[in-house]
Amino acid sequence: MEPSASPGAKATIEFDDRTPRLFLIATVVWALVAMAVGTLVASQLNWWKMNFDLEWLTFGRLRPLHTNAAIFAFVGNMMFAGIYYSTQRLCKCRTASDRLSKIHFWGWQLIIVAAAITLPLGLTRGHEYAELIWPINIAVAAVWVVFGVNFFWTLARRNERSLYVALWFYIATIITVAMLYIVNHLQIPTSWTHAYPVFGGVQGALVQWWYGHNAVAFFLTTPILGIMYYYLPKAAGRPVYSYRLSIVHFWSLVFIYIWAGPHHLLNTDLPKWLQLLGMFFSLMLWAPSWGGMLNGLLTLRGAWHKLRTDPVIKFFAVAVTFYGMATFEGPLLSIRSVNALSHYTDWTIGHVHSGTLGWNGFMAAGLIYWMAPKLWGTKLYSKNLANIHFWLGLVGILLYVAAMWVSGIMQGLLLNATKEGGTLLVYPEFVETIQKIQLPMFARLCGGLLYLVGFVLLAYNFFMTVRQGKPVDETREVVLLERGRGRRGHDTMTFSETFRNDPVVYTLLGVLFMLLWFFMPPYGNLAALAVALTLSYMAVQKFQAGHGAWSRWYDRLLENWMPFSILTFVAVAIGGAVQIIPAVTVNAAKNIEGHLQTPYTPLELAGRDIYVAEGCYNCHSQMVRTLVREVQRYGDYSRIGDSIYDHPVQWGSKRSGPDLAHEGGKRSHGWHYNHMLDPRMIEGSTMPRYPWLFEKKADFKSLPKKIAVMRRLGVPYEPMTANVIRDKAERQALEIAKTLREDDKIFIEHDRQIVALIAYLQKLGTYEDVEGEGGGTPGLLKPDVPDNYRGPKVSAR
Amino acid sequence: MSEPGETPEALDPYADNPDVVLREHSYDGIQEYDQKLPNWWLWTLYIFIIVFIGYWVLYYQLGFFPSDYERVDEQWAEIEAAKAAKLQELMGSLDDHVLWQMSRNGQITGRGESAFNIACASCHAPDLGGSNSGPQYVGLPLDDSEWKYGGTPLEVMKVVTEGSPDKTKGMIAWKEQLGGNQIAEIVAYILSKHPVPEGVDIDG
Repeated sequence: MEPSASPGAKATIEFDDRTPRLFLIATVVWALVAMAVGTLVASQLNWWKMNFDLEWLTFGRLRPLHTNAAIFAFVGNMMFAGIYYSTQRLCKCRTASDRLSKIHFWGWQLIIVAAAITLPLGLTRGHEYAELIWPINIAVAAVWVVFGVNFFWTLARRNERSLYVALWFYIATIITVAMLYIVNHLQIPTSWTHAYPVFGGVQGALVQWWYGHNAVAFFLTTPILGIMYYYLPKAAGRPVYSYRLSIVHFWSLVFIYIWAGPHHLLNTDLPKWLQLLGMFFSLMLWAPSWGGMLNGLLTLRGAWHKLRTDPVIKFFAVAVTFYGMATFEGPLLSIRSVNALSHYTDWTIGHVHSGTLGWNGFMAAGLIYWMAPKLWGTKLYSKNLANIHFWLGLVGILLYVAAMWVSGIMQGLLLNATKEGGTLLVYPEFVETIQKIQLPMFARLCGGLLYLVGFVLLAYNFFMTVRQGKPVDETREVVLLERGRGRRGHDTMTFSETFRNDPVVYTLLGVLFMLLWFFMPPYGNLAALAVALTLSYMAVQKFQAGHGAWSRWYDRLLENWMPFSILTFVAVAIGGAVQIIPAVTVNAAKNIEGHLQTPYTPLELAGRDIYVAEGCYNCHSQMVRTLVREVQRYGDYSRIGDSIYDHPVQWGSKRSGPDLAHEGGKRSHGWHYNHMLDPRMIEGSTMPRYPWLFEKKADFKSLPKKIAVMRRLGVPYEPMTANVIRDKAERQALEIAKTLREDDKIFIEHDRQIVALIAYLQKLGTYEDVEGEGGGTPGLLKPDVPDNYRGPKVSAR
Repeated sequence: MSEPGETPEALDPYADNPDVVLREHSYDGIQEYDQKLPNWWLWTLYIFIIVFIGYWVLYYQLGFFPSDYERVDEQWAEIEAAKAAKLQELMGSLDDHVLWQMSRNGQITGRGESAFNIACASCHAPDLGGSNSGPQYVGLPLDDSEWKYGGTPLEVMKVVTEGSPDKTKGMIAWKEQLGGNQIAEIVAYILSKHPVPEGVDIDG
């Protein structure tokens, strides 16, 4: 425990190395689980039988388990291990509270177990990487706050005046993830296991991908960069390449990253200005990301000879290289014309895996091989095994990524292929393109398997290392830091010192005028742009004339954890606020582009909840993009109004099956019935069978509660009593059962899930034409104000 | 350097470079150089800032590019026009007689068969038996002599092209997905399973 000696004196402290040890063990365990589930779901894309006809193992339910396990269980635990170990050493003090560390560790593991139980059961929120149901959401938020309190409390008690760059990244991680998670999980429960998200339609999509993209940014990137800044120079025994590069790339990274979310929604009906912001901020993000890669790789200058002998350095070097590759590919995929081909294909999936397996996974391996011997006071059990792991993993991930390039680009090209002068699609049936990518998808499975085998070796190596050593808690003699006093002391910076200085004032003014440039009417916006550019020029002049004044201010900022954290929050909050607030405050009913979705009947709503629970969005989108080949294949492009009542929105992000935006009325009830029973009626289909939908009863009981919540969310249901609601559902179900009986001689009880699902599928794409009305007057923050510059839009077909 | 002597002097890449200074502070043994930012790296940022500003001004201020809706509407109109012209041309050259002739041409029916298997067999069954061939097939049988919407080749062709007259439960219109030529081939394939009616001279 912390000694109570007087400041300035020396004291011996014992680090809490138990917590990083626990997190390290959890990392290894969950890594195996996440990767094993990943290979299983990958195999299902080759062989539909790989779910063994069990509902709990279908792709739609297991893919969320795979992604959540990889992100929050594997990388999450690795991040916590790395942070708890390095923060104590960088702060020269023990973690503030052992109790909070314990709550954090066990709370997090419980959350993971809860996720592993609920997701296969089909309990989901239907948003990617945000699938966990609301009671678990609250637990995640609470545990995250515990982590944050423990971390900042440790910073406050540090015996090191200045914050090292690794800590900057940890701070950004904790603050931003809390913000993202809370906003994207706002929801109204309908029961203990179900809730409807507050944001629906285009707003829901925007908020979801602001979260989804920045989960990658602030859960899979910033903490790992922080870990890189501590462990890579440690392992290499070399100084970090450049302090000023750290400053520039940190601040530009955290500021720019948050704006890039809309690049997941390019060519959809998301307002154009948001699409353009998403694309250009992604392109501008290339440099800040590569700043991190450069600082990592160039730190290895003078230590490259260690590549031959030290597996840790090998893993780190390849990890940082993959970081560079993934962050080059990301901006490339964010270009709207590239995205038109790549989106909804395996290219995106490959890109994500070069991040999680190449960058995060290899950083994790390096970290484990470096930390385990230190935490258990021994040597690594086998360097040879670690080297074999390295090569297996490297070949695995390269095979994986290359296979996904082939698969994604090939499918994109096949889907766009036309004949007879562009009037006809060469492959009008989606399933033909799925058949043609079976081989690359099999190669992906092999790549994933190799990578998994590598991690099994790591687990064995780790286990043997732990067994031959015994837990060691490092003790160290430190000089206790006097509490800061006056203008020179640490943690004494005032509010005005933080904000009233040239660097901050110029930056905030520059950003303000940049925003005015986005939003002002014509010519006013050009004036704002001119002011923003002038301010940038003046800032450079001031910086040069100041002879290091800005650097001195920054050095002082680093000695004050709270002002630093506040400025970090300001930097990460701006982008999301500017994109989301106009989109959610604007009157949704006035921005529907001539289409007004018809609300779901009670039965259709019950069917929709089945669609969400089965995770159909993992393979089927509900979004026809504004691309002529999509219109040829699926029908008219989607409008904002088509999905305004969808909570949660189901636009999807990947297609292993065709788009369903216009599925309603296309085929008969009987067709859907037979198709869900055996999708092989479409030759070559890889969709699983859904026999349980024909046995389980649809949940009519909860409908009154659900519709009450929908009404609170603004969906215009007429007032209905619970009996009326259930009665309506029953009647529509009976109607469908009758049609099935009369037209197709299919006999099914009307209260089965399949009937509700058919009702929903037949409703998809139903809207009311309100051309000419409800166009609305542009308010100050109408999302598409800039588009009005171009005069009247072409009328929709 | 964290642990002195780890990197031999000879391997220190900055040994002879007085410009590379090590910052004084050390964090848990980690030190930092303070090297200049690489210019090429800075330019990757500057270039995209310039591109951003340029594109935004071109699009919103100068109206230089069409909006997505304008673009896709225009492309779609072109496709529609081309398709309509093609279909009209084909329909003009087709009559029952020609379709019967096509139905006895192995090359044409071969192409028709493969198209049928992809687009039609999931409802009408690979043997054309439709609902008679099993409960999983919801389509009408095409191998008997009963035709719900008319049985002349041109009538069959019309149902495939425009879809079932009963929009709520029947077959969809196939002209968008298959186009006239392929529909004619499919119809020829279906006809090939039927006898040529009397009075039609397929050699004539």
